[in-house]
Formats: sequence, C-alpha cells, structure tokens
Amino acid sequence: MSKHHLGEFEEIVMLTVAILADEAYGVAIINEMESRLGRQVSIGALQTVLRRLEKKGYLSSQFGEATNVRGGKRKRYFSLTTYGKNVLTEVKEQRLSLWEAIPNFSLNK
Amino acid sequence: MDQISNPTPPRWPSLFLRWYCHPDYLEDIEGDLIERFETTTRVKGVKAAKWNYTKDVARLFRPGIIRPLSGSYQLNQYGMFKNYFKVGIRNILRHKAFSIINITGLAIGIACCLLILLYINDELSYDRYNKNFDRIYRVLHVYRNAESPGTLPPPSPEEFQVWGSAPVGPALKADFPEIESYFRFTSPVELLFEHGSKRFQEDNMVFADSTAFDIFSWNLISGNAKTALKEPNSIVLTLSTAMKYFGYDEPLGKTITIDQTETFVVTGIMEDVPSNSHFTFDGLISMTTFQIWRPEIFDAWGYVDFYTYFLLKENTHIESLESRIPDFIEHNGPEWYKADNTIALEPLSDAYLHSKAARQPGTTGSYTNIYIFSFIAAFILFIACINFMNLSTARSMERAKEIGVRKTVGAQRHSLIGQFLLESILLTILAATLAIALIALVLPFTRELSGKALLFSDLLSWQFTLLFAVSILLIGLLSGSYPAWILVKFKSSQVLKGNYKTSSGGTSLRKVLVVFQFTLSMSLIVGTAVIYTQLNHLRTQDLGFSDDQMLVIDFGWDGAVQRQAESIKAELKAHPKVSKVSASRAVPGAFFPNAGTTIESADGEMIMHNPGIYEIDQDFIPTYEIEMAAGRAFSKDFPSDTTQALIINEAAARLYGYTKMDDVIGKKFTQWGREGTIVGVVKDFNYKSLHTKVEPLSIRYAPSNSLRHLSLKVSADEMNTTISDIEQQWAHLVPQRPFIYSFLDDSFNKQYEADVRFGKIFTAFSGLAILIACLGLFGLTTYAAALKTKEIGIRKILGASLFSIVTLLSKDYIKLFIIAVLIGIPISWFVMNRWLDGFAYKMQMGPGVFFVAAFICIFIALSTISWQSIQSALRNPVDSLKDE
Repeated sequence: MSKHHLGEFEEIVMLTVAILADEAYGVAIINEMESRLGRQVSIGALQTVLRRLEKKGYLSSQFGEATNVRGGKRKRYFSLTTYGKNVLTEVKEQRLSLWEAIPNFSLNK
Repeated sequence: MDQISNPTPPRWPSLFLRWYCHPDYLEDIEGDLIERFETTTRVKGVKAAKWNYTKDVARLFRPGIIRPLSGSYQLNQYGMFKNYFKVGIRNILRHKAFSIINITGLAIGIACCLLILLYINDELSYDRYNKNFDRIYRVLHVYRNAESPGTLPPPSPEEFQVWGSAPVGPALKADFPEIESYFRFTSPVELLFEHGSKRFQEDNMVFADSTAFDIFSWNLISGNAKTALKEPNSIVLTLSTAMKYFGYDEPLGKTITIDQTETFVVTGIMEDVPSNSHFTFDGLISMTTFQIWRPEIFDAWGYVDFYTYFLLKENTHIESLESRIPDFIEHNGPEWYKADNTIALEPLSDAYLHSKAARQPGTTGSYTNIYIFSFIAAFILFIACINFMNLSTARSMERAKEIGVRKTVGAQRHSLIGQFLLESILLTILAATLAIALIALVLPFTRELSGKALLFSDLLSWQFTLLFAVSILLIGLLSGSYPAWILVKFKSSQVLKGNYKTSSGGTSLRKVLVVFQFTLSMSLIVGTAVIYTQLNHLRTQDLGFSDDQMLVIDFGWDGAVQRQAESIKAELKAHPKVSKVSASRAVPGAFFPNAGTTIESADGEMIMHNPGIYEIDQDFIPTYEIEMAAGRAFSKDFPSDTTQALIINEAAARLYGYTKMDDVIGKKFTQWGREGTIVGVVKDFNYKSLHTKVEPLSIRYAPSNSLRHLSLKVSADEMNTTISDIEQQWAHLVPQRPFIYSFLDDSFNKQYEADVRFGKIFTAFSGLAILIACLGLFGLTTYAAALKTKEIGIRKILGASLFSIVTLLSKDYIKLFIIAVLIGIPISWFVMNRWLDGFAYKMQMGPGVFFVAAFICIFIALSTISWQSIQSALRNPVDSLKDE
C-alpha cells in the first residue's frame, strides 16, 4: 500500500477542486458536488476537509478579489498542488489495478 | 445591490463564528456563509436562510475550524507547575518554624470554622427529619382577662404560649377542612414504672393522641402506627426506655405497672426521638388513658396542659386559616371570646430557633448564638489568614533573589503570581488536612461543650465536601494574594544588586493587621471576663431566699406521702442535722403553674390577673427564710389559713395597684375556687432564673393532694452521713418511692446551664483566637529579630544592655498593642452590654474588667515577643558578625 491514504470524501473534494480549476472556492465546490453527485455537503464538513488537505500539502489556496457580494468578504480559491496531483494519480492507478485484478470481471461475459 | 434593503445574516451566530473560528479561515468561510445566505434568501426566503445560516455555523464548530490555543496558552504549563510545586515544598521544608506556625495557625482556624459549621448545621437541622416538615404547624395560645372582647391591644409574640387547652385541636379540625389531622400531647408526667423487679421513676412520659405517627416521622420499630395509641392504657416506649425494662426480650404486649395501680400494655417500640427535635420524650401514653383519668379537662377551654400540633393538607395555605381565627374563637370558645383569648399558628420551621412564645415543650435554640458563633468562626479564620499574610510578606525578602532570577530569565508577572498563589494553596491544603485530623481528634470532647453529639460523618456529605474544597481554594487565594502581589513588585535589577534588604514591603499593612488581630483578641478576653463575672454574679446574687444546704426530695405527687405529709415531716425533722422541713408543690427553680386570681385592687375594684402560684405549707416561708414585707406568714394558729388566706409577693401587690404593702392586708381575693383575704406580702424572691425580674406570685396553703416536694434544711457538716441516714429513713417511711433528691442551689443553677455552656464555648474559642494571634506575633518577632541580627550584634559590642535591646525589638509592637486595646474597649463594651441585656440582674461592667483584659492581652503579647527578643539579645555577637 502507498503511504498516502486518502479518505473517500477527501478524494471527492480533491477531484471536484480539480474539475472547477480556477473557480474552486467553498460554495462553488459544494454546488458542484451537489449537481454532479447529488450529495448534500455542509460548509462545516467541507471546510474541515479542505483545511486538512491543505495542511497535508495536497491543496494550496489564495484569496481572490473583494467584491460587493458576500458582505465584502474575499473568496479563497483552492487548487491542487503538484504533490496533490501525484497523490490523486497514484490513488487512481491503485484503484485501476485493483479493478483489473478481479478475475471474473470481463466485458466479454 | 442595495446594501440597506438586503437582509443580513443573524447576529448572534455570526458573533459566535467570529469568536471561535480560526482567524486565518474566518474571512472566506464567513464569505461563503453569506453567499449561501444570500442565495437561500432569494430562493426560500429570509427565515429559512437565517435558520440554515445558524445550522451551518453550528456545524462549523469542529476541531479543524476552531481557533487553536494561542500565545502562552499554547505552552505546556506542566513543567512549570512541577517546578513551582517543588520549590514550594522545598520552601516549606527549609523554614520549618515558619511553616509550622503558618500551617498550625491556619489548621486551628479551619478546624474551629468546621466545628462551628457542624454546630450551626445541627442547629439548623432541627425537626427537618419530618417528611411533612413544611406542613406541620402548632397552635400558640394567649390567655388574657379582658373585660369585654377587643378591649385589649393585640398580643405581642412574647405573650403567646405554646401550652394550651385540650378542646382547641378537635375544634380546629372540625372548623377548618384544610387541616388533615391534629396531634396533642401533654407536658411530661412523672410516673413510677414497674416491670418485674425493675422499678424506675420516669419523668419524661407524655400523653399523646393516636395521630402521633401520622404527623411526625418518628420511626416505629414494632407495633402498628395506626392503632398503637388508640386503646386506653397502651404505651409506646422509646427503644432505650424499653431496653431498661425488657433488655433483649420482646417488649411488645408486655405489661408495665404504673404508680402501682394501673397496668399498661406496651403496644409499640419506637426509635429514640432524634436529638434534633425541639421536644423529646421517653414514651407515649395513649391520650384515651388521660381522658378516662380526667374526662372534665377535655372540654375545658380554660384548663391548660396540652401542646397542639396539626398537619395541613397539601396545597393549602396557612394564611387562609389565620384570617378565620377570630371567627373560630367567637363560635367555639365563648369564655375565651369574652376574655379576649386567642390563638396563633406557628410553622414547625420556627419552633426551635424563632419562636418567642413562652412555655415551650422543650429547649429552644438561639439565633443570636448562631450569629455570635458564626462571627467568631469567621474572626478566627480571618486572624489565621492574617497570620499567613503577615508571615509570608515578612519573609518575602528571602524570596527576593529567587524572584529576581526568575524575572531575568523571563518569568512573566502573572506566572510569578501564579507561583505564589500555588504555594499558598499548597500550604492551605496541608493545613486543611491537619484541621480534619484535629477535628477527628477533638470531636468526641465537643459534646460536653456544645451539649450535642456532633458527628464526623456529617462532614462527609457532598455539599460539605464541595463547600470545603471551594473554601480551601478561596482561603489559599485570599491569603496568598497580598504576599504574591508584594513579591512580584520587586525590581529584579535592584534585587540582584543586593539593595533589596532596605525595602520593607507592606510594613504599614502588617501593622494594621497586628492591630486588628489584637483588637479582636482584646474584645474576646473582655467577653470571656464579662461572661464569667456575670455568671458568678448570678450565682452569688441574693435570691431573697435561702438556697444553701437545702435538700429537696421529689416524691412526685405520691398519694401515700401526701396523706402522711405531716408525720413524715416530723420523722425527718427528728434527725439532729435537719433543722427545718417543709412540704410544697413547687420549689424555686422548678415548674409552677399560673392561676387566675381576682383581688380587690387599690381602687376598690375586683381585678383578675394571672400570677404564678405557689402552694405551700406553713413551714415553707420559715424554711426558705423568705422575709415578709407586710402581714404574716401562714400559721397553725389560724385554722382558716388552709382555705381562706392568700399571700402575695411585692410584684403582685404592685400589679394590683398597691404602692404601700400594708394596704394589701385584709383585701378580698378569689382564686381557684377559694375566697378569703390577703394575710401577708412577702418580699420579692427570685423563684425563677435571674434572666427575668421577679414576676407576680401568689402563695396559698396547699391542699394535701397538690404536694410534691419536701424541702429539708440540713447542716453542712457530715453531709454524706446525713444524706444516707435520710435515705434509710425514707426507705423505711416510704418504701414504694425511690429516694430522689437534689440540692436546691444545684438545681436552681441548672437554669444557667445554657449560659455556662455559652461561656465555655466562648472561652475555648477566644483562647484559640489568642493562640493563633500569638503564633503570628511569634513568627513576626522571630523574623524582625533575624533581620536585625547584625544591628543587635554591633549594639552589644558597643555596650548595649539586654533591656535596651529587648526594648528596641518590642517598642514598635507595644504601640500597636496600646492602639488595639484602645479600639477593643469600646467595641467589647458595646457588644457585651447587648449580651447583658438578656439578664434582668446584670453585673456592673466597671473599668476593672477592661484593665484586667488589657493587662492579660498585653502580657500575653509581650511574653510572646520577649521570648524571641531575649533570645536574640543573649546571642553572642561573634556569631552574628563573623560572616561579614
């Protein structure tokens, strides 16, 4: 097993951040997850995971410009770090190798 | 977008978020929340949005988001605490003398406080064991003699008495549906109990209604609570009384012969009445028995011998009853209504500590004493705390270097304060442990002092433990706060340069504290002196009758003795050491009844009052050497004296309007079915305790069936043989009665038992207070002497005398003592005068008391000081100077 362990929710969050590319901030991530997976996520749950991933070095973040909406508060945009990308890739490959190792599973059947 | 018309997120959740959220995350998270809030407002409305916002904030409250502990919070304090602890212990061990003084002083203070707390706790617990505590009330009665109803002013609380008439209880129950049941019992009767060979005079048996166990939560061990007291001649005994007669046999159903005539069946055994009850008894005899013995008194509104208690139904209010009392009296007791008698209702919670009514069924407590003792407890603890502060500040300079070093390496102010507070809490905990050990040791001896058995187990309740823990912390913080504050102020640069010895931090405060301690000590000494002088004054006060060598035999209304009274008297008088013998119903200091007495007043009208009544024989007045103010005493020469004569005392004469005693002689009277003339006036003699002035008293010739006591004047020498002679004679004359005797001065002085006990407790605690103050003083002088070691050395080399050095060391303190004495005098004078107001006959508080107290106070203080000063003055100067 790899030394990188990603939880299921962590993985989904990272993937969503990757999908949103430059637009990945809190509310946008939640909306994206809701529309793609039909999954209701609270801000609390998301933010905790985001901070944890950032601390682990998988994500980085920077503030955007202040606007009139959101009570004048800036958005924090998250993006994958190279390290994070590597971890995601690694996880994906592990999964694939697992899928392929299932003996009775074939398209031919 | 228009900012103003926009709804804003709810205020409190936002504030909460800002408070807990990690500052780095706050901005964008709050932004997200607001964005969501705005979206939801458009879709679902403001209300839903606000609710969602609040929910989101609540869900954000989790470890990843909450701000971490910052600054000094982040550091692990454990290491530092360990260090403080270690340094603290080392300090305690290094300065053993100081630590011992500190800890013992504080321990004694805490122990006193705990003891007093136990005592107060017990006083406040009276009657609370009753399940129906809140619903039990008792009836107070006032008996007056108005011409017509409503002519007298409303009675004062002191005019009421608990002792009342029998028909009141049943009438109340019949008239007031709010009353669930009532319970009456009589004043204790003296009866001779016999079972087999066991024969004792029982003097605390009461007749009681069968509702006893419905109202009071006394524990019936065997027998049926409902029926035990129903049948005539049934008796319920307390366990210890039952043990006396039956040992370990089953007592239920056994019989007891009472007064050799009546046979009673034991129908129940109850646990002894709890000691925290406002009245107690050794056994309950069914009221139906008494109803058979004296049927007439159960309808008599004028006959007084019952205590009436009742249980109110749940959810009813006593006020609704109280307003209907006048109606009740008018309809039920026509004689009462005419005489303006009335009743009042008193809750059980007031019975022990708050009742002002007369004729209580048992001893009552004193709220004043509770206050006084609480004050003393607080004072002693305060003195101990002062010691603690004094010694710690005085010693602070020794710690200066440590503080300097700590500060230089970066200790912050608050951590230094923390260190010293921790140290003082440590000392307090040690003191508290010692205090508990002390209490465990002393508690068995407090019984004599407080008159009640205080239990150590009471200290183990959780309330007590919590209170104790909190108090220990508080005491530690309080007494540690000032020294800590002083210590922390040291400037490290100066301290480390070595200049610190000149700083005398907190000298003036220390002086104030010493003055305060000794003012208290002085006041306590005055208090002790006054209490003892007053008690002595009471004992030596001329009572107006002779109480020396007066042997009183109590034969408890024994019919046989009553019938042969004259011959028994003659037999007893035949003994060479017995000079006079008299028979009477009451003796001074013992119980006597009151009687409605009508006497022709100075204005010629017949007036009725309710003076006390003494029923005596013709030998009583000569035996007791009571002086006559006018007229004559009863005499055999006047046969009509036995039925038609009355003697009153001066107070009674004044009550009926006479100023010249001679005028009363020959006036008409009626009393308890007797009519006749007044034949004499006796000078006032103190037949009750000296707490009260002599009250009006009527004295009449006793019918033989009301005799109860024999009074024998015996000579002082060979008292023991005289007593055993009389006892033998008694066994021969009255074989059916045990020989129960007492000396009048002993039994009379028993009335001051509570005062004597108060004096003892007061002395004990003032002794402790002074001891603690002296401990502190000792510590302070030791320290002062240590500071001046070198000065003393140099002075000695230059030729100073021992005396001059002792003066040098003590003169500061002498000034303080004088100030303390001057402040203490007015305070103690004021307080003790208030205490003396409780006595009708009080000592004169002259300057002597204060002189003696001041002398004792200064003497104790000076001997404490000189012990240390003389020691340091005697030291060889070489020792103190060689290390320079």
